[in-house]
Amino acid sequence: MSVNRWLATGNFFTAYQEEQRTFLTNLDRLIFSIFLLILFMWPIFFPLNRTYMLVVDNILVAVIAVLGLNLVTGFAGLISIGHAAFVGVGAYTIASFSRVLGDSHILLTHFWPILILIGGFFGSIMGAIVGLPSLRLKHLYLAIATLSFQMIFEWAIKFLTFFNQGQTISVGRVMWFTGEIGRENHYIFWYYVTLVLIILLGFGIRNLFKTRYGRALVAVRDNDRAADAMGMHPGFTKVYAFALSGFLAGVAGAVHAFLYKGAGIESFTLHHSITYLAMAIVGGLGTLNGSFWGPTAIQILNLQVEKFSEYASNYLPSAMNLATALRPFTFGLVIVLFLMFEPRGIANWWRIAKSYTKTWPFRY
Amino acid sequence: MSYFFQIVVSGIVVGSIYALAALGLVLIYKSSRVANFAHGQIIASGAFITYALTVWAAIPIYISFFASLIVTFFLAWSVERIFLRRLIGEPIISVIMVTIGLASIIDGLIYLTPFGTKNFSFPQFLPSEPIAIAGVSISWTQLVGVIITTLLIGSFSWFFKKSTVGISMRAVSDDQFASMSVGISVPSVFGLAWATAGLSAAAAGGIIGNITGLNFDTLHAFGIVVFPVVILGGLDSILGAVVAGIIMGLIQQFAGGYLDGNWGLNGTGEVLPYVILLIILLIKPHGLFGIHEIERV
Repeated sequence: MSVNRWLATGNFFTAYQEEQRTFLTNLDRLIFSIFLLILFMWPIFFPLNRTYMLVVDNILVAVIAVLGLNLVTGFAGLISIGHAAFVGVGAYTIASFSRVLGDSHILLTHFWPILILIGGFFGSIMGAIVGLPSLRLKHLYLAIATLSFQMIFEWAIKFLTFFNQGQTISVGRVMWFTGEIGRENHYIFWYYVTLVLIILLGFGIRNLFKTRYGRALVAVRDNDRAADAMGMHPGFTKVYAFALSGFLAGVAGAVHAFLYKGAGIESFTLHHSITYLAMAIVGGLGTLNGSFWGPTAIQILNLQVEKFSEYASNYLPSAMNLATALRPFTFGLVIVLFLMFEPRGIANWWRIAKSYTKTWPFRY
Repeated sequence: MSYFFQIVVSGIVVGSIYALAALGLVLIYKSSRVANFAHGQIIASGAFITYALTVWAAIPIYISFFASLIVTFFLAWSVERIFLRRLIGEPIISVIMVTIGLASIIDGLIYLTPFGTKNFSFPQFLPSEPIAIAGVSISWTQLVGVIITTLLIGSFSWFFKKSTVGISMRAVSDDQFASMSVGISVPSVFGLAWATAGLSAAAAGGIIGNITGLNFDTLHAFGIVVFPVVILGGLDSILGAVVAGIIMGLIQQFAGGYLDGNWGLNGTGEVLPYVILLIILLIKPHGLFGIHEIERV
């Protein structure tokens, strides 16, 4: 029987390896390639101004962070209300290097890819330390433990003079083969760096779930006693999930520090932790493409709310600051509505669309 | 020595407010196993409703305090009815995130009112000069606050121990299926738990508002700081909430009084509850009075 490599009208797997393929049909591969091509090419054809490019960069940095959160909360089932603190650990790693060595030391300007990795490494160490209570705790207790890490992190940054007491620590511009990345190229440069990082990390995570180490995470989420009986160590698996998620968060934080040319506590507060959770939920917990949709949706929503309140404030008394009120309101409303009506997130829409087209033109 | 006793007194005042604030969290957790991250916002709205009734509607504070309790009672009940009733049986992350989303929504609504950005303070209705005994002073507002707190906690304990409704709430927290089989309506008990939690939150809000003044940031910060308190006391114990509230208040005040300013430390009162929380979670996760049901893996 010849297999249609382009359209699969059903599941005809004859081996488990076939089921594990990243792209089930050539059509999937084509769609993904076109999508990537668009992501790489659009800044050339439709150059945005600096304000909007920064929004796009923010989305991409949040995608890396939410990938990490999705690993720990979506795949391993451990609620983390301290993810912004891990992102902060990555950012403050870069900031510490900048503070010790001076903000345009050769290590920061020429060897920044290594520094991004070091940021991720410190993030994963902190992740493992914070994950230690998960050896004993579950569910709500663990969530509160991560919450307390967030609060302790914020206090430590605000208290220590080494971290400038939460004020911004500046990080210099970086060099590329073509010379220093100037003001006009800064955001576009970091767009490409972040995009490449997302692709590398995304495929890394996709392939991780083909190995025993990835499957162990899901097994522990679904039933930790059964996982224990099958020879996995649930405690260590959870610590390792936290370390992995800390690595991704650290990378996101390091990129954030380079992107903003500095790190300050105001980007790593409890509010940001909650935003990352909301992004993961709106995108779809436990899905990889959800980590992409969630940040995009939430950031675009924020942008629209900002625009709307700017527009509406022309017709309102000037004392009322509509943006401060509308931002939390719409944010909360979106979370609540998604949880009540679409708990599987935007990724579920993609799944539905895909399964609908799979059997096309037949209904089933 | 009077400095020491002064700190003890202010620690007990702060602690009793923590106890009252933590009570609402314990009530909800006890019956429905939901951690309510919107508790600080409910406390804040209780305080603001009290203020609006007292000052804008010019109702005497003795009446408006109780009126705000009733308003918040129905407010919290409708929150449960609209948002949380659908989520019974959903995974814990959904429920936690819904309460976080609710917190955000209430934040937005409060920012629409003047309370979101401006500071207010209640009109003075008690003698302004503090009572001083042997160099230790306590203001009338604080004293009345502590007395009201004690009365409220006492009546809540009575309610849970003796009244039929309270006993049915305890039954639901113990075993939902068994209580359904003896004819208790579990969803309505959940609603009632939220409503009573709203009531206690409004009381806490009114008292805090009278002692410290109305500032939205301080008020809703209470919703986060009660988590160390309830974990220390045990998430499902009312007695634990009271004891842990007072311990936490004392620790904060002692840290503020003795640690801050020495050895270059400051703001230790804000961070110590969380450090204690982590230590408690590592060595005794069920808290001082909680039920030993932590599952180890």
